[in-house]
Amino acid sequence: MDIAILAPAAVLIVWSLIMLFWMAATRFPAMAKSGADLAKAPPGGRGSDLEGVIPDKVNWKSHNYTHLMEQPTLFYATVVILALVNAGHGLNLYLAWAYAIIRIIHSIWQATVNLVNVRFMLFIASTVCLLIMATNALWATLF
Amino acid sequence: MENSLLLQPMVALILWTMLIWLWMYVTRIPAMNKAKIDSANLVGGKGGDLDELLPPEVQWKAHNYNHLLTEPTLFYAICVVLILSGQDYGLNLTIAWVYVGLRVLHSLVQVTINRVLFRFMLFSLSSLCIIALAIHAAIAVFH
Repeated sequence: MDIAILAPAAVLIVWSLIMLFWMAATRFPAMAKSGADLAKAPPGGRGSDLEGVIPDKVNWKSHNYTHLMEQPTLFYATVVILALVNAGHGLNLYLAWAYAIIRIIHSIWQATVNLVNVRFMLFIASTVCLLIMATNALWATLF
Repeated sequence: MENSLLLQPMVALILWTMLIWLWMYVTRIPAMNKAKIDSANLVGGKGGDLDELLPPEVQWKAHNYNHLLTEPTLFYAICVVLILSGQDYGLNLTIAWVYVGLRVLHSLVQVTINRVLFRFMLFSLSSLCIIALAIHAAIAVFH
């Protein structure tokens, strides 16, 4: 098993949890400021109900946290596959690190400046990394 | 270790997800241009905000892409459990391919005609596959 490729996956998992804390650290003060009271909130509320209630910039952290629970799940599956078939080295290893690093930059961008065209470019760049890894995984498992 | 055959349906579904990702942008970007969305200066916002701006058929691709990043994440995790516990052959392998086949059909229905009844039936059937695999995984690791 190629253990090395598991490192960028672990990095991205830790980063996702950092985003969770960043979201919480900005959201709770913003909720307090807007007069929202968790104790008096009606049952069934969700994070997205805060759209328009607290500043957009605060919600951007939450948008990114949600985003990190989407495509990266494919990344984790792909990394495990590559590790299990001993293909987690060389190009695949570089691509996995590139994916993790670009996703971290994407997070910082979405949580701060959030100009959509740059965010889109970062997303495309990371997706291309994943696409090549996934194709290599297909190749390694079919033949 | 010999490559597990169960890795094949996993990779197939990962690549299918990326194909839907491509389908999403191939239809979304022209639709955004047509809707005169000034993407060069767009700040903040989420893909879901486009539900109010773009035709539903265009957003259906995005809905399915998001859908492929929800329940299938359990599928990947269960497949890894089955591989690591040596239950990655025979019936489990067949069920995994059936799951992938049903999810592909589910995607095709959701992005084209999107009749909710068909979609629901395909989703229910595919969920039964997850339930069966999960029970087998539970037996493998607890028994």
